[in-house]
Amino acid sequence: MAGPSPSPHKPRRKAKRVAGDDGFSGGRLTPAEPLVRQPSFPLAAILWPARGTTSQWELLPLILMAAGLFRWAAGLWGYSGFEKPPIFGDYEAQRHWMEIATQLPTSQWYFHDLQWWGLDYPPLTAYHSWLCGKIGSLINPAWFELYTSRGSHDPALKIFMRATVIASEYLIYIPAAVVFVRRFSRLSGVASWTASVALVAILMQPATILIDHVHFQYNTVMLGFVLASMSSMLAGRYLWSAVYFVAALGFKQMALYYAFSVFAYLLGSCLFPRVNIGRLIAIAAVTAISFAILILPLVIGTLNDVKRGVDARPDLDGPRSPLPLFPRVVDYLDTEAFYYPIVEQLVQMVHRVFPFARGLFEDKVANFWCALNLVVKLKKYPSELLQKGALLATLASITPPNLILFFRPNKLLLPLAFATTAWGFFLFSYQVHEKSVLLPLMPMTVLLAGKHGLGKDTRAWVGFANLLGCWTMFPLLSRVDLKVPYAVLTLLWAYLLGLPPTSLSAYFQDGSSLLVQWGTALLHGAFYLTMIMWHVLEMFLKPPVDKPDLWVVANVGVGAVGFSLCYLWCLGKLVVESEILPKSWFRKKVKAKTQ
Amino acid sequence: MASEIYPSLAQCAIVAAAFKILLFPAYKSTDFEVHRNWLAITNSLPLWEWYYENTSEWTLDYPPFFAYFEWVMSQVAKLVDPAMLRVYNLEYDSWQTIYFQRFTVIITELLLVYALQMFVDSAHGSTSKRAAQTAAISILLSPGLLIIDHIHFQYNGCMYGILIASLVLARKKSTLLTSGLVFAALLCMKHIYLYLAPAYFVFLLRAYCLSPKSIFKIQFLNCLKLGSGIIAIFGVAFGPFALKGQISQIISRLFPFSRGLCHAYWAPNVWAIYSFIDRLMIVLAPRIGLPVKADALQSVTRGLVGDTSFAVLPDIAPNVCFLLTLLFQAIPLLKLFTRPTWDNFIGAVTLCGYASFLFGWHVHEKAILLVIIPFSLIALKDRRHLGAFRPLAVAGHVSLFPLLFTPAEFPIKTIYTIFWLVMFLMAFDRLAPAAHSARFFVFDRLSTLYITVSIPLILYTSLIHGIVFGKSYEFLPLMFTSSYSAVGVVGSWVGFMVVYFTS
Repeated sequence: MAGPSPSPHKPRRKAKRVAGDDGFSGGRLTPAEPLVRQPSFPLAAILWPARGTTSQWELLPLILMAAGLFRWAAGLWGYSGFEKPPIFGDYEAQRHWMEIATQLPTSQWYFHDLQWWGLDYPPLTAYHSWLCGKIGSLINPAWFELYTSRGSHDPALKIFMRATVIASEYLIYIPAAVVFVRRFSRLSGVASWTASVALVAILMQPATILIDHVHFQYNTVMLGFVLASMSSMLAGRYLWSAVYFVAALGFKQMALYYAFSVFAYLLGSCLFPRVNIGRLIAIAAVTAISFAILILPLVIGTLNDVKRGVDARPDLDGPRSPLPLFPRVVDYLDTEAFYYPIVEQLVQMVHRVFPFARGLFEDKVANFWCALNLVVKLKKYPSELLQKGALLATLASITPPNLILFFRPNKLLLPLAFATTAWGFFLFSYQVHEKSVLLPLMPMTVLLAGKHGLGKDTRAWVGFANLLGCWTMFPLLSRVDLKVPYAVLTLLWAYLLGLPPTSLSAYFQDGSSLLVQWGTALLHGAFYLTMIMWHVLEMFLKPPVDKPDLWVVANVGVGAVGFSLCYLWCLGKLVVESEILPKSWFRKKVKAKTQ
Repeated sequence: MASEIYPSLAQCAIVAAAFKILLFPAYKSTDFEVHRNWLAITNSLPLWEWYYENTSEWTLDYPPFFAYFEWVMSQVAKLVDPAMLRVYNLEYDSWQTIYFQRFTVIITELLLVYALQMFVDSAHGSTSKRAAQTAAISILLSPGLLIIDHIHFQYNGCMYGILIASLVLARKKSTLLTSGLVFAALLCMKHIYLYLAPAYFVFLLRAYCLSPKSIFKIQFLNCLKLGSGIIAIFGVAFGPFALKGQISQIISRLFPFSRGLCHAYWAPNVWAIYSFIDRLMIVLAPRIGLPVKADALQSVTRGLVGDTSFAVLPDIAPNVCFLLTLLFQAIPLLKLFTRPTWDNFIGAVTLCGYASFLFGWHVHEKAILLVIIPFSLIALKDRRHLGAFRPLAVAGHVSLFPLLFTPAEFPIKTIYTIFWLVMFLMAFDRLAPAAHSARFFVFDRLSTLYITVSIPLILYTSLIHGIVFGKSYEFLPLMFTSSYSAVGVVGSWVGFMVVYFTS
């Protein structure tokens, strides 16, 4: 990874100036590289030769190739549910949706055999599955044959599926990340080489690679749309930001974690510093139109099926079954009307996408409820109470960051507000999956591209959140023998960013208060030690017979506490940086943080 | 005060090691089973039977030091999974075996890292140190080593580490003897390095055994040291077998002359071009009235597997190859003998590698590393050297592509090679100082054109051919790849010959 370095020989071509060529920097020159004599962590060392002379158009392709190589190599390992009959795993779910989308009439997508990985993602996922399935069927139709393809573990199919994840990511997440990092770093006054270092750190984030490219899912598509939405906010293109966010929601309902922040920012930017009703109406209209376009294929497909006499539920005879949600609606509707199949279709979609009927948490997740369950057995409480409790706690945790964002719609606060809100949802909301930790991690990780993003404080906290996040997913990964890629990718990232357990260089910076330094170091140190100890115990000791889940439970408890700290750090930083509180309140703290 | 150059070799090695561990489940060739079998043979049989054992078709055909090396590793393997050490356990590949064998490749490659650090330390001045560091990293991250060692499976990284250590030791007068002895030990590990031995012989003869002032004064003490050292090393390697009279058996294992002119698919050398012309002549010969040998036409494989028989052009005998190789090795050695500098020595080693690769009998495409790796050490000397190196870097690595033919490894081999080429050709371009004498304008343009052609070639061989012809005419992409690469290797050889003799 040794790029070129300055030499006495004059290169044939002069590097072109890249400043101010994209219309948003307002003709400002690229900020100069800070005068640093030596790289402070290995990733900076590896990109060191590219400082100064290399234009980012030479560096960017190399970064993208390297990121792609690591993704593809990680994909050589097994996937979720590999050779684990009878139901297999996420890989089979995604493959099965390609099967459904290409083989069945549109109106049956959300109804077909729900016991076998029934489609439970919003329509954009279904369209994406349709596209991937169509392309795959060109290569080998047997991969997506109805029924017979279930649980297929054809190695060639695996290569195709891995390729669809990478292709989707390179079409959506990666361009969004590149553009976001450029805009965010320019706005924060960060030089372009430093931004490239941050970009590599963001792209090599172990959690996303492990979940999408190893364990198997398409989270980066949704995360990419959210990043694109944030990036449009940075550029002041509010309408595009609404469109991208609808796309994110339309791909995976998990994007709702961010919805409050998107709403708070867009609304805030219409009201502060001065009221702009035109913008508000435009955003509302574009959002509504985007939703309409999102469900349009589903609606047209349904109408078309009705015309052809295809029933959405061919397995049911007799009268129509009641709607799964809002059964009262039927009283006001004519079930024989032309629009009724559409209503039925959309209600079914919503029902599939938001499974209200499930419990507070499904598996062991490192969130508040699961941790609380260790102390108080939550099962003895009625589920309505728990639902209300979850709702209240979530609202309480997400209100502060979103109020701040609403009253101070400042572009530089976006990642912090998004991260705080997503942490709030992850910790307190209903029906959380351990993979959902990707949602708070994404906006928190892009902080690396901001002001002092690669400085010790931010690097230490972002690193802590990511490494802890990967660690809480270890039980999930180890179930399908993915310990090696887990260890390699997390340790590599920790090494690149100079984080524990490979280095302590991210702690004890000059100039900040001793209390904060020692506090952070001891706090993180305790967690890192616990994580290492936990791995040692998990590897060599079998849990006692009466407590078979002991290690997982310990993992969940530690994770929940650590994530709460991440929530508090993001919230604290947000409060400080928004300058929403009178400065005199915590002048000392400001000093400590901004050094 | 450029004390440290970033990134350091260790930093690159760590990142590369992470990538290589991720490649554990990748495709592995029969060489994996070959080495597992050797672990089993050396561990479970007495020394006297190592070169006679033939349960597996992959008999031990490396010199004794490599066998000892396998024996050492087998002591650890015993703790990992004893089942891999049973000779009859053919094609055994439990995950422990895979982890263990793949891991030994990464661990033994540390020798390469160490040798490269020696190379960087041996450079003087901050500019040349920076160049040396870049060249060292380019070798460490070489796509050749990645493809051959970490996917296909072999231990080249470790052995090229020994070679580089020996080459670097030759840089200083005081370590010349060690350099020669290390090379002797390397020969006892893998005999392919015999191809480079003439350059060592001439260099050590002139710089160590003869007086620097006159070639007629012999430094007897040095001769004695070198001679006895080499005899001792060969004694340790072959002595135990010689006592039992097994030398002829070992030689028959090490040099199987019964193989054909070209390997399974043609290595990109002169004979590949020769074969390609022969294939063209099949079409052209009837028109100009040349006779076509009927039996060669009927050979279905057409150069894909086994013996190549030529339809129009005369067949090549092994001794023709041998004589041509010696001839083209001798030419650069004359200059080395008259001016035994280190730069000339590395140039001569490179040219010996070239000659044996281009004209040798049954050359394997993996042997291109014999040229690329020594050449990398001096590629940054000036822009003329770099001009000759560039087509070699492209051709040499593209010619390794057919080694991996599984779809899962296709993106890795292509993207990694492109990544490496873009990064290092760009870095080299900035680092190489201007040459003292003029460059060949035409040669530069031709080499740019040549590099550009590689893109449609890769597209054709990997994608278009499959779509247009499906499974038929499988030899076509291989033939194009090796002919294309052969042109590049031959071109860079001619270019480097000129540079070598004019600088």
